[in-house]
Amino acid sequence: MSFEVTIEPLGQTIEVEEDQTILDAALRAGIYLPHACCHGLCATCKIDVLDGEVDHGEASSFALMDFERDENKCLACCAIPESDLVIEAEIEEDPDSRNLPVQDYQCTVSRIEDLTPTIKGIWLKIEDAEGIDFQAGQYINLNLPDDIGSRAFSIASIPEQSGEIELNIRKVPGGVGTAYIHDELKEGDAISFSGPYGRFFVKKSADMPMIFMAGGSGLSSPRSMIVELLEEGCELPITLVYGQRTREELYYHDEFLALAEKYSNFTYIPALSDAGDDGEWKGEVGFVHEAAQRAFNGDFSGNKAYLCGPPLMIDACINTLMQGRLFERDIYTEKFISAADAQQVRSPLFKNI
Amino acid sequence: MDIKKTPKKLNVKEKYRLMTRDLAWEPSYRDEKEIYPYVDYEGIKVHDWSKWEDPFRLTMDAYWKYQAEKERKYYAIIDAHAQNNGHLNVTDARYLTAIKLFLQGISPGEYSAHRGFARVGREFAGVGPQVACQMQSIDEIRHAQTQVHAMSNYNKFYNGFKDFATQRDRIWYTSVPRSFFDDAMSAGPFEFLIAIGFSFEYVLTNLLFVPFMSGAAYNGDMATCTFGFSAQSDEARHMTLGLECIKFMLEQDPDNIPIVQKWIDKWFWRGCRLLTLVAAMMDYMLPKRVMSWREAWNIYGVENGNALFRDLARYGIRPPMHWDDVEKSIDHTSHQIMLGLYQWKFGTAFHSWTPTDSDIEWLKEKYPTTFEKYYLPRWEYAIAQKEAGGEYNNFGLPKLCQTCQLPCLFTEPDDPTQLAHRETEYEGEKYHFCSDGCQHVFEQEPEKYIQAWLPMPALMQAPLKGDLAAWMEWVSLEPTAAGEYANSEDKANFEKWRKQVSTD
Repeated sequence: MSFEVTIEPLGQTIEVEEDQTILDAALRAGIYLPHACCHGLCATCKIDVLDGEVDHGEASSFALMDFERDENKCLACCAIPESDLVIEAEIEEDPDSRNLPVQDYQCTVSRIEDLTPTIKGIWLKIEDAEGIDFQAGQYINLNLPDDIGSRAFSIASIPEQSGEIELNIRKVPGGVGTAYIHDELKEGDAISFSGPYGRFFVKKSADMPMIFMAGGSGLSSPRSMIVELLEEGCELPITLVYGQRTREELYYHDEFLALAEKYSNFTYIPALSDAGDDGEWKGEVGFVHEAAQRAFNGDFSGNKAYLCGPPLMIDACINTLMQGRLFERDIYTEKFISAADAQQVRSPLFKNI
Repeated sequence: MDIKKTPKKLNVKEKYRLMTRDLAWEPSYRDEKEIYPYVDYEGIKVHDWSKWEDPFRLTMDAYWKYQAEKERKYYAIIDAHAQNNGHLNVTDARYLTAIKLFLQGISPGEYSAHRGFARVGREFAGVGPQVACQMQSIDEIRHAQTQVHAMSNYNKFYNGFKDFATQRDRIWYTSVPRSFFDDAMSAGPFEFLIAIGFSFEYVLTNLLFVPFMSGAAYNGDMATCTFGFSAQSDEARHMTLGLECIKFMLEQDPDNIPIVQKWIDKWFWRGCRLLTLVAAMMDYMLPKRVMSWREAWNIYGVENGNALFRDLARYGIRPPMHWDDVEKSIDHTSHQIMLGLYQWKFGTAFHSWTPTDSDIEWLKEKYPTTFEKYYLPRWEYAIAQKEAGGEYNNFGLPKLCQTCQLPCLFTEPDDPTQLAHRETEYEGEKYHFCSDGCQHVFEQEPEKYIQAWLPMPALMQAPLKGDLAAWMEWVSLEPTAAGEYANSEDKANFEKWRKQVSTD
């Protein structure tokens, strides 16, 4: 059996399986809790239990003191829930997070469109008349039939269109979930999802110029975020550096050209890594990080950067941004820490990137 | 009915602000430069001290409460250990060599770190690092004290413990850690933090503490093991301070990058040379072994080091300059150092011995490409001397490296049959080095290292003038504390007492 653990001050609730530690469950759910040694000795992951019971596991008596146990503290890396819990961890309260509750939604597939040879646009009309409340940049878990399970997809449309959301889904070679969506899902099908999830959204309170870097099928969140900002009347400089391999993969290119035309504070920099002998192509040739470096002349300081795309692209972009004097506190990535990532040897130098 | 009003509890962030950041003030009648004269002479540019983040957010009031409970628990265990003849629970008396080396070499280093952090806590201009350095300063003196107390019980029964402080200043192999810490303490505040907070506490600490503390646990030494747990609960905070310092410097100004790189190159190399003593301890001194030096290096050096330098590369920092030389030396250093310590065992305040048959099997298995080929024949020579009724000693004095102060006994990185020697002439004097790494460190700051105190010249200078017996008295080394383990009082006493306890 599993327990529900609510993490304050986020107010987010996660599920913790039997014999699973709080830390493990939080990391898998994409919530970063401070931690270091992971076996009860260093006390970096100390948290408060506001309600409920835990088993302290292997926590060292020098890392978790008796008086602290009396004050209902525990070490997240060792503590295993014995009931539903409310815990409080040292997570920065984010003024831009609306902490929206996750709900289940029933909907109908209202439209399917080929955006590129490998990416489909899927529109879902929500049955509940109120629709879904979400922050631009967040994702949902789409439930697929036949024991496929659920798959996470970022919402490509803007929050204002709450009754019908758009997903852009690339067919992953060998992927059962995306194969089902590409080959079997039809307009009119009933389907359900839960959401909204994720902490990737615009830090509006920072009031700083923004750089969005997107590649592959990572355009969804940036598109939702940028369109919302522009329609809200944001006047800060906004730049989108958007990369694909070829012109035919560069979906929504015309839409962004039109936006750049309409809004003077929006700069659109498309880049093709494999332009070939496309004589028509007038944009950048190369990878996203290279195009960004040229566009900003290697100096990114004074911006907030939002990165979305395949891991190699994110990694290259972070290197370029940091060499251009933009550091961890101003870089945001859409990131899901998988079980494999949580076990990989990582240095504790960076926490969020 | 009155509604019970619970006072609003301050959250951690708010409390931290009030108890640290809020304690700072703007100077009104002296300027910042007068108050903090040392922050800019190393060339490190700082534009905004408030960007220094302390993720621990530990406040002084909470700090005392934690440390007090750690002390209570620790001393309860130490007392029990003393009252129950805990010293007789160790595997056998050979284990004592490992903790004698720790007490003579490392505990004084903790005390040096205490003094260093007290100093830089005063010299840094931001209140965040000031508070973090003060706490670490108090941690370090606590570590030095608790280590000395943990081992004081052994001093009641065995030789070689009693005068570790004098030996730290005068004997030869202890000058290796001593010169490491003296070098750090006489550097500027930022370099000190890179030396101790980053290189030592982060990059190298696992290679030092894990072997010693797991060695203690494996060999039945509850007192030292308990110290390890008590200290480890502070280590995460120390590592964080080192990492925050390096991030802070690298983010404040691009001109800081080459300076930080130079320090990383230097302190990584110096740290690795210091750790060769730990390598000998792991491979030769523990009756029950935890893992080989090679295995420890693969986990804590290669795996963690690569992860760290992958991340630091984002700032434009490359891996330490002599990393490849260290990697090439790993299968050799413990054997080279231990053969050195063994042949000069008349001058060590601990006992040593030739490896037993089972030791030899273990070493062959752990070092399949090097031990049997290069080092076993030398041990067999020493064993044959003993069996013929003699003793293998080398009364010739080694040439010491001007930088790391170890004897020049290491081999060339690419040729294990060739001893490595380097020399540099500076202002008409010739200086000797054990390696390219140490020569490089010297050549960056020759004025600093020509002042180094070296233990071998001390034996030759007045008033000792080469008199070995007088030197032994001067370094407070009694003949009973030195030499071959098989002939030692420690061995005889341990076996006698253990027998008494088991026949009671």
